[in-house]
Amino acid sequence: MGRKINSNSRTSLAFASFRRNRMGMICLWGLVILYAMAIFADFVSPYSYKDEERNFSYCPPTRIEFRDQGKWAAPFVYHYALTFDAMHRRVYVVDRSQKYPLHFFKGGRLWGVDAPGRFYWWGADARGRDLFSRIWYGARISLSIGLLGVGISFMLGLLIGGLAGFYGGWVDSVLMRICEMFMMLPGFYLMLALRAAVPENFNSVQVYFSVVVILAFIGWASLARIIRGMALSLRERDFVLAAKTMGVPDVVIIFKHILPQTISYSMATLMLTVSSYILAEAGLSVVGLGIQDPVPSWGNLLSDAMSIVPVLFAPWILLPGLFIFIAVMCFNVVGDALRDAFDPMFNE
Amino acid sequence: MIPLLSINNLTVSVGPKVLVNDVSFDVPEAKILAIAGGSGSGKTTIGLSILRLLPSALSIQGGSRIVFEGHDLLGLPEADMRRCRGARIGMVFQEPLSAFDPLFTIGQQLDEVLVAHTRLTKSGRYEKILQTLNEVELPDPKRAYVSFPHQLSGGMRQRAMIAQAMVGDPSLIIADEPTSSLDVTLQVKIMELFSKLRVKKNMTMVLIAHDLGMISHLADEVIICRAGQIVERGSVRQVIDSPQHEYTKALVEAFQ
Repeated sequence: MGRKINSNSRTSLAFASFRRNRMGMICLWGLVILYAMAIFADFVSPYSYKDEERNFSYCPPTRIEFRDQGKWAAPFVYHYALTFDAMHRRVYVVDRSQKYPLHFFKGGRLWGVDAPGRFYWWGADARGRDLFSRIWYGARISLSIGLLGVGISFMLGLLIGGLAGFYGGWVDSVLMRICEMFMMLPGFYLMLALRAAVPENFNSVQVYFSVVVILAFIGWASLARIIRGMALSLRERDFVLAAKTMGVPDVVIIFKHILPQTISYSMATLMLTVSSYILAEAGLSVVGLGIQDPVPSWGNLLSDAMSIVPVLFAPWILLPGLFIFIAVMCFNVVGDALRDAFDPMFNE
Repeated sequence: MIPLLSINNLTVSVGPKVLVNDVSFDVPEAKILAIAGGSGSGKTTIGLSILRLLPSALSIQGGSRIVFEGHDLLGLPEADMRRCRGARIGMVFQEPLSAFDPLFTIGQQLDEVLVAHTRLTKSGRYEKILQTLNEVELPDPKRAYVSFPHQLSGGMRQRAMIAQAMVGDPSLIIADEPTSSLDVTLQVKIMELFSKLRVKKNMTMVLIAHDLGMISHLADEVIICRAGQIVERGSVRQVIDSPQHEYTKALVEAFQ
């Protein structure tokens, strides 16, 4: 009778059911790829996020060429020359007289070209910064802010929901009324108000953490209510009564016997909350209250696309929006899949 | 001699409904008192009242007194009451599978009791737990220590449950239907274990049961409860051999 036989626990059954969910698995892999790209942003992107070249403002995506004068060649790019058309609009003309070979694994970066050539796979922004690079550096901020914010919200939610659910009575009433006060306020306006309270002269790291704290501050209440509901039912379980008859202190009962049981179920809610935090950060940054340029986040990258003219002439600056969409969708689908997986009725 | 536990005029009610009505009894040291009766007779409520762990809807009425080792438990501050549970009074539950937390090993859960009540070192606690698991005659204490509740058989789980109640060296053990979830052969073994432990540890026990066979085998005295009231009391022989009350007669008849 080895310990391996008994692996059919609720959790492992749920994960087996999750693995059968095709959309869930695809989106889980999508998230893994997004996070991997964010972690290795220094490596996968050809430029640093603040590397700018004013002569390449809104340079269109660079085509990677494989054929040189009718023959196969190692990948290279042509020079893009800035000129103005009859309407005095900026246009880029491919200058075939100047070629720059694409080099790989040079200077700790996956790919790039030597100066004065520039390589903009997904185009450039107003200041001639590479959008491809900035999207992955921005992913670091956008994807981590959601996780960090949810981490803090979850701790608060566990603590307050656990206390309210375990003790019930007036403790429960007071804590839940406080939660409801937070849930009553419209989230986005509360966020704007809180952001207004943060000093203007904060540096980017301080802004980052203040955004995390603001997000966590707004979101903990709904998590606390969910945990409280589970704690209310768990405290009626025999093993909680048994622990009480043994004189185990309440704190130990809450943290060892009640909260660990809630985690598998609250995973799904956590995933859905991460996506709402990513959106909230983007919302803050789009209106210029989140992460400040030159540090990129998906939100403030998208704020370049707020006016119609750049979007008309440089549609690629909408790309960060696509990534926000992908990330939020993946988190939502994975969250739904996890919820289905943990729902015993659904499995039958 | 002063009894170890003395319950006087215990009345428990939920709203206007009285669940336990004016119950009084004494449990002398080293004796086993059985509380018998059918479902809903208030047996379990009496047991939980002693530990002051009744569900919040139930309240113990004024005038009730539960005196244990010279202190009125009902007047004790909650912190002292908590120190009393597990260390002075241990409880054995009916269904060990639900009374153990499925996420922790038996060892971890016994350890929790010692952490709460003693200043023993980690190795001291380990020794004490192994010794207790040995006393309840678990075949392989070291294996049981690292086993999760679902990895043990029903009988072994019940032994582990008894070990958990005993590990804090309490002077009183409340056993609430300790054999009801087991099959007949295991019931006999657990009963034998209790008889051995009682001699070895000089155990005082409140045994809540509906099984008169077990009561006649183990208990010294018995009180018969019906609808929250004591209808008959006396030594086990006397009550079972010549029941006076109609209800007791019915119980004894059903058992035979």
